[in-house]
Parts: sequence; C-alpha cells; structure tokens
Amino acid sequence: MSREAIGGSAWTRRGLAAMGIFGLVFLTVPLVIVIPMSFSSARALTFPPPSLSLRWYETFFGDPRWMEAMWTSTFVAAISSVAALILGGLAAYGLRRGTFKGRDWAEGNFMAPLIVPTIIVAIALYLALAKVGLLGSLLGLVVAHTLLNVPLVMMVLGVAIREFDQRIEQVAWSLGASWGYTMRKVVLPNLAPSVFAAWIFAFIGSFDEVIVTSFIAGKYETVPKKMFNELVLEVNPTITAVATLLIAFTVLALAAVAFVLGRAGKLKETVV
Amino acid sequence: MTRTTRLDGFGFIAPLLVLMVVAFNAPIVYMLGLAFWEKGRGFTLEHYEGLAEAPVYLRVLGNTMRIALIATIANVVIGYPLAHWMRGLGRRGRMIAVALVVLPFWVSILVRTYAWIVVLGNGGLVNRALQWSGLTDAPVSFLYNELGVTIGMANVLLPFLVLPLFAAMIRIDDRLLQAAASLGAPPRTIFWKVYFPLTLPALAAGALLVFILCLGFYVTPAILGGGRVPMISNLLDTLINQIPRWEQASAISTLLLIVTLAIFAAYRRIDRKASA
Repeated sequence: MSREAIGGSAWTRRGLAAMGIFGLVFLTVPLVIVIPMSFSSARALTFPPPSLSLRWYETFFGDPRWMEAMWTSTFVAAISSVAALILGGLAAYGLRRGTFKGRDWAEGNFMAPLIVPTIIVAIALYLALAKVGLLGSLLGLVVAHTLLNVPLVMMVLGVAIREFDQRIEQVAWSLGASWGYTMRKVVLPNLAPSVFAAWIFAFIGSFDEVIVTSFIAGKYETVPKKMFNELVLEVNPTITAVATLLIAFTVLALAAVAFVLGRAGKLKETVV
Repeated sequence: MTRTTRLDGFGFIAPLLVLMVVAFNAPIVYMLGLAFWEKGRGFTLEHYEGLAEAPVYLRVLGNTMRIALIATIANVVIGYPLAHWMRGLGRRGRMIAVALVVLPFWVSILVRTYAWIVVLGNGGLVNRALQWSGLTDAPVSFLYNELGVTIGMANVLLPFLVLPLFAAMIRIDDRLLQAAASLGAPPRTIFWKVYFPLTLPALAAGALLVFILCLGFYVTPAILGGGRVPMISNLLDTLINQIPRWEQASAISTLLLIVTLAIFAAYRRIDRKASA
C-alpha cells in the first residue's frame, strides 16, 4: 500500500528500482568478480580470464607458509571464539538478569571494542604487550581476539536472553533446581540456536581479524595478516584463490546460521 | 513466588570484567599515559606541541576528515534509495535483498578491498566497459588514489548504514502514509513531509556511525591507496612500526579516541530517538 502512497509515477518507481539495484550491485559485484578470476590461468588480473585453471589453488595449498598461516588462524579462532562465547555469554546473562549496580557502565565497557577504532586497540595492545614482554605471543593474540569478539557474542545473546521468558527459569529455581542445573537443562537448550550463531560470528570475526593481528602477532602469520602483507607489496593472483575460499567459507557459515536460526524461527530478530 | 530468585548477577560478569580491565582498559590507560607523561617531569603536553608544529600531521588529519566525509556522503546517496527500495519489495524480495546486504558485511574486509583491485584495475571490469563503450580511450586510474580509497570505503561500510536504516523504514506505519494520501497530499509531499522526517534520525545515526568507522580505517587506504593516500591509521602504523615514536603515536591515538567518543555520544543520542 505504501508503495502506492509514496511511490509516485511509474518513472519515479523505475528510477528508485534502478538506484536500489545499483546499490546491491555495488555491494555484491566485487565478490562475484573475484570468484571467476581465481580460476584464471593468467598472471595478470584481466577480466574475463583468458582461460581456466586451478594453478592459484595449487600454489596456495602447495605453499607451506600459507598452510601454516591457515593453521594459526584456525587455532586462534577456535580458542578465542569459545572464550568469547563463554565469557560474553555469561556476561550477557548477568547484564540482562542481574540487579547489581553499574550494569550500563559494564555493558558500555564490554561493547567498547566495537566503537573504539581498531587501530587504537591495536596500538594500545602493542604498547602494553611490549611492556610486559608478550608481544608476538600466541597468548596475547588469543586474548586480543577474545576481547574483540565479545561485543558480537553479547549482541546476539543479549537479544536472545531478553526474549527468553525469565519466569521459566524462576519456575525451575522454585522447584529446587540448582543454578548450574537450570543453566544446563533450561536456559542453554532454549538459547542453543543463538549460541551457535554467536559462536560462528565470533569465529568469523577472529578468522578475519587483520589490524590488531598485524600489530601484535610478531612472527606468527595468520591468513589475513599474510594476505594483507602481500597485498601491500604487490598484487599476486594467489590472493584471488584465498579470497574465493574465504567467500565460500563465509557463505557456508552464514548459511548454517540461517538454517539453525530459521528452524528455531529466530532468523529475523538476529539479522535485522 | 518469593523474591529470593532475583539474583545479583555480578558473578556472571566478573570473569569478563577481569579480562577487559587487564587486556583492554589497562592498555588504553597506559597509552594515554605515554601521550601525557614524561619520565621524571610528570604531566606534559609536549607531544601535542610536536604535532601542531609538523604540517604533515595536519595534512593527514585533513585528508582523513575529507575522505571520511566524502565516503559518508556516498554511503547516504547510495544507501538511502537502496533501503527505501527494499522496504517496498515483497516478503521474498526483501529477504533476498537483506541477504545480499548481510553477506558482504561478513566477508573479510581484505577480500572486499582486494576485489576492487580486480574490478577497478587497468585491465579490470570497469575500465574494460568504459573503453568498450567508447567513453575513454586510455584506462582511467581508479587505484592508488583518493578515488579508489573512497570507493572501497563506501563499499565496506554500506551495510552499516543500510541495515539500521531499513529496520527503521519498515517500522513506519503504512497507515500514516495512507492518511496523508487520503487527505490529498501528492506522493512527493508525503515523501518529504511525512516519510523522510520519520527516517531522518536513523539516517543521521547511520551516517555518524559510518563517519566514525571511516576515521579509523586502516586496511582499505593501505591497499587501495598504495601508500599515496595516507590516513590517520596509516600514519599511526608508520609511527609504531617504522620510525618508532611511540609517544607521538599515543598522542595522535588519544586525539582520535576523543573525537570518536564525542561523535559516538552524539550517535547514541540520535539512535535512542531513532529506535524510540
């Protein structure tokens, strides 16, 4: 109905559709172009590729340094995403259900890594880690990734906990269930889809993190750090293969999230 | 029902609080300390005096502000019609459009930035199309200048504007617009007098958010600027990693932090109004 109220003439509507489609194309075309380019046989980045080959994938998988970077990225993402999930999940629960003073302040502090420019977090961590001698350590890297991904976890789980009827927990308590038992048997099963989504988001967030990692990782290479360093120096078509793999990984991860949330009927509130 | 089930809940946040204080708050305070402290002399503004005297810092600052502003405007110009068009789509169309906006949001910023090298390069899609259509003879250089950086940043940040704006637009009650129409207002008047003012808080909040994120941008200028378009973050990188001048880097970071938090405070005020 609103389309008729403010849509105006057919020309206005067509113009709007053209602008909307342009916006979507602007967002997605770069990603779509990278995929065929990764199968190019040529060294130069010409579109369309002159002929197809898998040579850039062979270069990627055959390079021990890329493989090591892949392993480091996976390791750091696995540990830091679980840490962010546990710490952020507990905190989101405490903030939504708790009554202690200073909740707004605490939440603001936990969400701050999202607002404070990442370059500042990177510099502050660089200076502090250099001071305590943990610059270039896996521990520093995992801790940094954890705190950067806490806000994502808290956003997803904060909404889910608010939507979950507190009286259900209170019934469990009043029937004598312990706190741990209530968590395990009542809260977690109900929040499971959102917990899964939060974990995937934290994993992607860590796997893709580049700025802080470039500053504090020292000799450790992650996939984004290596990619960034190579891109600043020269354009190497192997990157196109890496980029395509990352796109495929993101699409699969998001599809899994959409599937799990969709089945639980929670897709809409988490996405928009 | 007894009230004993109300919990204090501080224990739930304690582990995260410890981590944040040790690994986030303390490093930032330490950085502020470096910016304002001199060994043996205490509080000093010396590092800021150094900034004011060096024209290169001011130029980078001006550069950053200008690029951030242009990228924000480009975001509004592309994002507003997109969100508005999405609102008018059917259920299925909306879902597909939202998916197409959300997906790039989650793809690595490196991939999205790198993709522009492929699209905008001399042998890239855009230059091929321009030459094929006869608009230009020689390739237009989009890369390694401000234009490329601005395009890349606008692209990376567009979802930050479109998603909240779209969410605000679908909350607008259709009956409001119909009421205006039934009172005889033409579509143009309804749009500017009813619809647009209702979306303005979300638009302003989104634009401020995009602007904040632009100020701290690091990856896109480094790659698409090819070192020729320095922004604050790249300057900070140089001051930390190449010519170690940590105090100066701390001073600039502090400045950037203050500006960011000030704009964020404005964003919060507008955002509360937008979601109220």
